[in-house]
Amino acid sequence: MGDLTTSLPQPIVTRRPRLGFFDREAPFGYALVLPAVLYLLVFIAYPFFMSIYMSFTDAQAGNRKWTFIGPANYSKVKSYELSANDFVIATFPTVAEANTFIEKKAEGQQVTDPAAGGRFRASIVIAGKKIPLLEMSNEDDASFNASSILSDLQWKAQKTIGGRYDVVAHSDTPLVIGTYPTRAALKDQERQIVVPSAKRVKANGTGVMQDPNFLLAVKNTFKYTFGTEIIKLMIGVPCALLLNRAFRGRKLLRGLVVIPWVIPIAISAQAWLWILDSTYSVINWFLVHWHILSPQKIINFRGDKDWALLSVILVNVWRGFPFTAIVILAGLTAIPDEILERAKLDGANAFQRFVYIIAPMVRPILMVSLLFSVIFSFTDFNTIWIITKGGPYDQTQVLSTYAYQLGVNAGYLGKGAAVSLFMFPMMALMVFFMLRFLRRETS
Amino acid sequence: MADVVLEKVEKKFGEVRAVAGIDLTVQDQEFLVLVGPSGCGKTTTLRMIAGLEDITSGDIRIGGRSVVGLPPRDRDIAMVFQSYALYPHMSVYKNMSFSLRLRHMPKKEIERRVKEVAAILGLSERLNRKPRQLSGGERQRVAVGAALCRQAGVLLFDEPLSNLDAKLRVHMRTELKRLHQAVKSTMVYVTHDQVEAMTMGDRIVIMNAGSILQIATPLEAYDQPVNRFVAGFIGTPPMNFFEGTLTANGEGASVDLNGGVNLPLGRRNLQESNRPVILGIRPEHIRLSADGPGNHHKVPATIDVVEPLGRDVIVTARSAAGVFQMQTEIYSGLRPSQHVDLWFDMNRSYLFDRETEWAI
Repeated sequence: MGDLTTSLPQPIVTRRPRLGFFDREAPFGYALVLPAVLYLLVFIAYPFFMSIYMSFTDAQAGNRKWTFIGPANYSKVKSYELSANDFVIATFPTVAEANTFIEKKAEGQQVTDPAAGGRFRASIVIAGKKIPLLEMSNEDDASFNASSILSDLQWKAQKTIGGRYDVVAHSDTPLVIGTYPTRAALKDQERQIVVPSAKRVKANGTGVMQDPNFLLAVKNTFKYTFGTEIIKLMIGVPCALLLNRAFRGRKLLRGLVVIPWVIPIAISAQAWLWILDSTYSVINWFLVHWHILSPQKIINFRGDKDWALLSVILVNVWRGFPFTAIVILAGLTAIPDEILERAKLDGANAFQRFVYIIAPMVRPILMVSLLFSVIFSFTDFNTIWIITKGGPYDQTQVLSTYAYQLGVNAGYLGKGAAVSLFMFPMMALMVFFMLRFLRRETS
Repeated sequence: MADVVLEKVEKKFGEVRAVAGIDLTVQDQEFLVLVGPSGCGKTTTLRMIAGLEDITSGDIRIGGRSVVGLPPRDRDIAMVFQSYALYPHMSVYKNMSFSLRLRHMPKKEIERRVKEVAAILGLSERLNRKPRQLSGGERQRVAVGAALCRQAGVLLFDEPLSNLDAKLRVHMRTELKRLHQAVKSTMVYVTHDQVEAMTMGDRIVIMNAGSILQIATPLEAYDQPVNRFVAGFIGTPPMNFFEGTLTANGEGASVDLNGGVNLPLGRRNLQESNRPVILGIRPEHIRLSADGPGNHHKVPATIDVVEPLGRDVIVTARSAAGVFQMQTEIYSGLRPSQHVDLWFDMNRSYLFDRETEWAI
């Protein structure tokens, strides 16, 4: 074998002359993007990392010094509280027997005996039957709780899945059995309740994870986001289909539709404040006028917690559906006429054309709009802050308003930062799944 | 039986008359080509047969049944669109079977038909691909396949080859012609390309400005054009036209062209004198010598441009009568600026009235 490389033609190496600084393109390019890079660093990256840092400190408005406190702002449990609502006292084959038993409740006696391991067993005696309820290390606690179940709680008969009847002692506010400093201590004491019962463990503490308002805000954020998106699609799709048809005044209507979206929310929300006013609401006026509601039962849109959440969702829908409609419209107009004509020739009626042709072809662009829309709704602050300010009693707080409430209004900067940072992983997850769906859709 | 009959079919878009009351009969299993320049009403005619456009007046019958007012799906037709109109989100198989699935045909039967058509079109390996993963020619074949799966009586083609490159277009032309011989459907084919029309059609319909000018076999259209438009439209390179005056004397008629060129016609029955006419002669009927059969007459000319095609060259020449083109062998050795005597075969010449432009 000869040396092959010598017989192959060698590539010709040419040396490019070095350009002068002002003739080179790269430095000019860097100069052009520099403002954008600076902007990102100063106004996006710095605040983002600063708030991450802040969420691990005890920063408060007015305090000059912050100290690092670890994840305490996120979660810090002081104690675990064991409580229960329903206690199953006894089970009977028929409802009559169960009711006879309940009637004898007043004759019941509470007794406490020592039990194994230095504990005390509190029982009740009814109709000659001794029913053990609790086993606790403290005799007084045991007998007090057992007495409460016997005398304070409502008893009623409940049908079981097996067709038998349980006598259940029910309490609307959970009966607190005890509080324990650690989870291990709780674990040790969990067998205190002897009868079958609906046990609940609540963590008390100072981190936002232990804050019931925060948990409510998380729930509200999801309700607000998905409620908004679903209703927006339900209105936006028919709206886009309508605007895609040829009719007189189509251009005018297309212009009118986007009005809610282009009016600043600070202005349009004022109108909504009046529409949703507790006394002067125009909706209430019509409902009363048409005798659907009596004047005494008018809806308190911003005062009732369920109506308040629905109200902010509807205002957000009103503001956001034009965007959805316009994006879908853009998708619709991008479908070539010939494809729809071919579908007609293939025998598809209007409904089949929508389901098999239009919807799948619009889906990718719809997903992009949905992605944006979900991000905007998830982080939306304006609508809620203007309409309800998170009220009544923090019942319509979402993560963004609660972060503001906690961090700015109340001055707990660290906690506020912690709340707002909770949005980050949640959104990252949503965006991840949507993008993955989109990629699969287009590949 | 799926013949198509158009009777006094008219289409108006507002005040504009796109199709001006045409009569046309497409025989069963015929390959009919509608050809004409853009805006001549050929596509509108096709879309009216398909049911994508309403007709303003007249009647359309497919297989003896009037289809006016019937939706496209009930007309026993299938159509191939210019842009192929493939559903981008469906695989080739789903694209081809879409219409059958809408008709709730049994799955087995659908599969049998699609596979059969795919085999004819060479698409068997592509059934699971999406349209975007196919080449232009393959997409075209999928569009044809989707139409074939319907087994409709009439297949309509709306310029199906115009989005392909030149080489593929020639190939697909042959393929479609072979397909027609195989499936024996009635086919109505719209094109603006007269080469396509000539090569593919059993008969061709030449349209202009919303009217039918001539319905003829390719040979008839080439040989006996009814007017100057058809004569100029059919054939490449196009026919040469010279304005002139018809003069008749005892020996026969002749045409006086500009620059004192006089060409005897050799036809006996033209007696009118001083009639303004247009003389037409095809580039392939102009020769370099007077040898061989024909009635050749000399026209001195200067060679302007020589365009080699392969076996032939197209030569543009200037003469006293005007500029014209001729087609001759590449071995003729003609060069620009050369002075030559060219011979017009007057037996193959055409005469048109200068006013009406109809053939005399």
